Amino acid sequence: MTAATYFEDVVVDKVQLTPAITVTAAHVEMYEGLTREMGSGGIPDVLPLCLAIGLGWRVKDPPMAVQAFVGLDWKIMKELRVGDTMHTRSRIVSKRPLRDGGLVVDERTILDQHGEVVQQGKFTFLVAKRQKETSA
Amino acid sequence: MADLRRYFEEIELGEQYESPGRTVTEADIVMFAGLSGDYNVLHTDAEFMKQTIFGERIAHGLLCLAIQSGLFTRATAPYATLGFGGLRWKFKAPVKIGDTIRLRAKVVDKKNLDKPDRGQITLDRTILNQRDEVVQQGQTDLVVQKRP
Repeated sequence: MTAATYFEDVVVDKVQLTPAITVTAAHVEMYEGLTREMGSGGIPDVLPLCLAIGLGWRVKDPPMAVQAFVGLDWKIMKELRVGDTMHTRSRIVSKRPLRDGGLVVDERTILDQHGEVVQQGKFTFLVAKRQKETSA
Repeated sequence: MADLRRYFEEIELGEQYESPGRTVTEADIVMFAGLSGDYNVLHTDAEFMKQTIFGERIAHGLLCLAIQSGLFTRATAPYATLGFGGLRWKFKAPVKIGDTIRLRAKVVDKKNLDKPDRGQITLDRTILNQRDEVVQQGQTDLVVQKRP
């Protein structure tokens, strides 16, 4: 099993920055081919959100042991254009233990190359607790 | 060419739509992992997933959210949409390879925005699977152009 950040090790208020990705016409074409969403000429608004979740794994810390994506509360502030380079910032807002695992609210912000906020909102994840050591 | 898009004024509260179905395939999940860079084991490791409550790989939540966005354009005549304003969304049940999902949507709110050429349409959206189980549900705010 690869290293993971379990619920107990999630630190509230911790901020992490991801690497950046340049959004290209190829991303738009792949996205439109996959979703069959009609092209509007620009970047579909859900595409940066999809890229944000991928970027979220490319951080220094081991990834959270996410068992399920529970919910999303999201706002689109600014249109992104082909050729723009986005990165994301995440901040753990809260954590709440459940019997199995716990809920973690993670505020994600998508920023462009000028540092302007493009999209922002909160992800709620169900995160696994560390497995108890079993005696052999 | 005739403009078939529907403007803010033409969209009425209470309108309901249901989309055709779409079967979510392994190829959809692999493509989405490649596009988004989300290679989480939930979506890519069949052996690991055999040991979980899901029993197999599940589709990315955002893949189904993106698919419903495409299904919406097949459920009704296109809106004169300028963009998404925001969304509030719950992932309620997993979508597995071979499941067929469809979208049910209803217009629940209309309001003017600061800019006089556009308004906001809020839709309740429900994604159902082939057993009519709700797999995702939420609200989306669309910014729609007013008639020029």
